[in-house]
Amino acid sequence: MKIAVVGKGGSGKTSVSGVLARSFARSGHNVIGLDCDTNPNLGLSLGVGDLETERLLSLRDQIDEGEQQHAHTWDDILDAYGTDAPDGVRLTVVNRIDNPEPD
Amino acid sequence: MIRIAFAGKGGAGKSSISGSFARLLSRRGGPVLAVDSDPLPGMAYSLGIAVDDHPTPDNVVVEGPEGGPKWVLRPGLDAAGFIDTYASTGPDDVRYLQFGNTWGHFQTLQRGQHAWSQVVREMDPAAWNVVGDLPGGTRQAMFGWAKYADVLAVVTEPTPKSLHVARRLLNITKAEWAPSQVVVVANRVDEDEDIERISNALDRPVIGSVPNDPAVVEADKLALSPLDHRPGPFVEAIEQLVGVVESTYDMDDQRATKGKP
Repeated sequence: MKIAVVGKGGSGKTSVSGVLARSFARSGHNVIGLDCDTNPNLGLSLGVGDLETERLLSLRDQIDEGEQQHAHTWDDILDAYGTDAPDGVRLTVVNRIDNPEPD
Repeated sequence: MIRIAFAGKGGAGKSSISGSFARLLSRRGGPVLAVDSDPLPGMAYSLGIAVDDHPTPDNVVVEGPEGGPKWVLRPGLDAAGFIDTYASTGPDDVRYLQFGNTWGHFQTLQRGQHAWSQVVREMDPAAWNVVGDLPGGTRQAMFGWAKYADVLAVVTEPTPKSLHVARRLLNITKAEWAPSQVVVVANRVDEDEDIERISNALDRPVIGSVPNDPAVVEADKLALSPLDHRPGPFVEAIEQLVGVVESTYDMDDQRATKGKP
């Protein structure tokens, strides 16, 4: 099952996604939390904390910086770039924009 | 003249604050152009302007020259003429340039966005105070959509999620093109500790603090501008903010000395 949560800014997407993910995990499912926001905050509502949310580089960043090779499978990607959130949810971030673009 | 843009997390209160700011600034007498680069017209609500009333015809733009922007204003139509003809007029005489939804389907939308950017870039800075509203998050700000502003006001609530976005937005100061003043506006604060929480987390001056005001929630539910509903601490706080920006962040002198457009 794949669920995408969308809506207006501030309407509660991240909070709803975080609680959904952990609830499914608690009832025995394997759950991946996939943060597709360019301003990713899902880590905060999953409960991995401010620092870890900040530390969790995006797939894009790591590949751009040459720190990681392109992973071969989804499992590799989750191993390489994910972090463990409470209730066994595995969190990963697609992309993020932290810095201004050059002119 | 003041040129200010508001950015922040989705739902942080950018549109409510920027729309009310634009109207209160206009009441003080200066001409105000509200420029909304959010394709979803949150700012129209807080300005008290009907959301879908003012489509701009496709023929305001023509294809741009090779190597330049894809669409440019048609010959004979400059920024001043565009504002005259196509900016909506709202309460308190605020003129409103909208970026997205009223322009229709995707291709039309793209034309409208090019027109919007050109108008904001080329308009006479001596003719208008400019109050801008950006979409939630970091994307547009980091891609330079607030270059027109002298002051970038990052709106944040005293919550970790909101502050997280605000911290990322403050990275914009690293850009050579960043607005010369990057400041913080605290929104939905209930107590002094909330303001402390914000100033401790962010290394920038907090130039306004806007209290949590049930009147704003009521106005939102009624699709009214906070200024057209019952007065309260929100409106008072925005009045104060306008005063602070007028007295401290009118950058005309610096613009003149730096020769910055």
